[in-house]
Amino acid sequence: MSDQLNFLWRQLPNLLWGFPNNRPGGLVLSILLSGGAIALGLVLAIGLAFAQHSERSWLRLLAGRFVWAVRGVPLIVLLVLLFQYLGTGTILGIEFSAFWSAFITLTLYSAAYQADIVHGGIAAVPQQLRDDARVLGASRLTVARTITVPYSLRTMRPALVTQAVTIFKDSSVVVVLGVTDLTTNARIALGGDVGNAPFWVATYLLVGFLYWCVAFGIARFAERQIRHNASVVGRAYLS
Amino acid sequence: MPDWLTPELTGEIARGVVVTVALTLITTVSSFCVGLVAALGRRSGRRWTARAAGTFVEIFRNVPALILLIFLAFAVPNIVPQSSRPKVFFRNAFWDFLGDLTTLPLPYYAVAAIVALSCNTGAHLAEVLRSGFDAVPQSRIDAARSLGASVRAASLSVMVPDGLRIAFPGVINRLIHNLKNTALVGFVAVPDAFQEIQGAITKTFQASQLLIAAALLYLVLATVFEFVLGRIEAALWRGRPIDRTIDV
Repeated sequence: MSDQLNFLWRQLPNLLWGFPNNRPGGLVLSILLSGGAIALGLVLAIGLAFAQHSERSWLRLLAGRFVWAVRGVPLIVLLVLLFQYLGTGTILGIEFSAFWSAFITLTLYSAAYQADIVHGGIAAVPQQLRDDARVLGASRLTVARTITVPYSLRTMRPALVTQAVTIFKDSSVVVVLGVTDLTTNARIALGGDVGNAPFWVATYLLVGFLYWCVAFGIARFAERQIRHNASVVGRAYLS
Repeated sequence: MPDWLTPELTGEIARGVVVTVALTLITTVSSFCVGLVAALGRRSGRRWTARAAGTFVEIFRNVPALILLIFLAFAVPNIVPQSSRPKVFFRNAFWDFLGDLTTLPLPYYAVAAIVALSCNTGAHLAEVLRSGFDAVPQSRIDAARSLGASVRAASLSVMVPDGLRIAFPGVINRLIHNLKNTALVGFVAVPDAFQEIQGAITKTFQASQLLIAAALLYLVLATVFEFVLGRIEAALWRGRPIDRTIDV
């Protein structure tokens, strides 16, 4: 028992923020990787969702096909596929490491799912509201920026949070490219050493617990925020 | 047909596709059962049942499927002392029988993968189904009760079918996700389609073409699966209002 705890204690920093020569890594890298992908993905997703609502049919088709294609392929296949094209060479003078390749893949993957959510959110904005703003002289862009985006983001927030948690958990798949995230570092910590066999259960319980803490924590925090905001909005309506 | 694509290689990939399809069908049914039991458990009046179901859902929903897979397949066998490990997990009458049945070399890993995916998808489905059950108008359940149905009969013959109809779009989403999650079982030595394609890449070095083929394969599988699930959804609504609403 004590050597189990001893092993975990020795490996904990490696799991949390990476091996000494490779920082940031571990859980911190998982959070950075998925957080960046979610943020950048949301920007892309808003663009994609507007494209899906566009009056130009080719733009609608293109955005729709992109979302359909990315959503129909497992993340692990996308990761290996894009790494095949991005990871083996330099494009426009940028050398794509496994990390950046994984980051780009995760961003596109995230964007496709978020685009569907934002697409639904835009559809839920009352047309009347947008038309009124247009009548008052606002340009298309102003309407999008001041009405459609903030309004739809608010209604879609629960779905976006759920999606963000999913992306965080799915980021464990980057182990296939050897990006030194939490899952990969657990693998490295255990290594091929047969002597480490007794530590597998404890190590993966710890890794699962670390993922669980972040995923459950985000979900709970967001739930509380949304409930709080809902009660504030409710009071504003009543007064 | 390119000349590097030997019949032997196509045979291996085809066997992988069969494994992927079989895994998808098995985990679809099992995770649906897990999700239904967990959702009903969570709504149950008994406090400890509800608490146990809630704990199950919150644990398996918030841990990555990949970690569950590796834990069950590779970590759990280490609990048994090394001397008796092969006998318990890999070489006994039960596993030999299962190996002969499925033609898999190490059936324990496939079983572990099925359990891991069922728990993961089941926990997600439980939440989807629960929101469906919550959306069934109480007046419908009350109506059944006033006609003399017991609590159990009212929930099984009114709440469950209506809730399932309401929740089915979410169920479809999650089951498609589950289909794609089966691509992870290659990590735990189950020879599914993607694992076989990666094996073919190491033999032929035709990475770009084989990976594109893998992506197309999953696109086709997901599209077909979505079509089938859509037909099931249509069957669930047969003989009911065309606008798919539940009457109060």
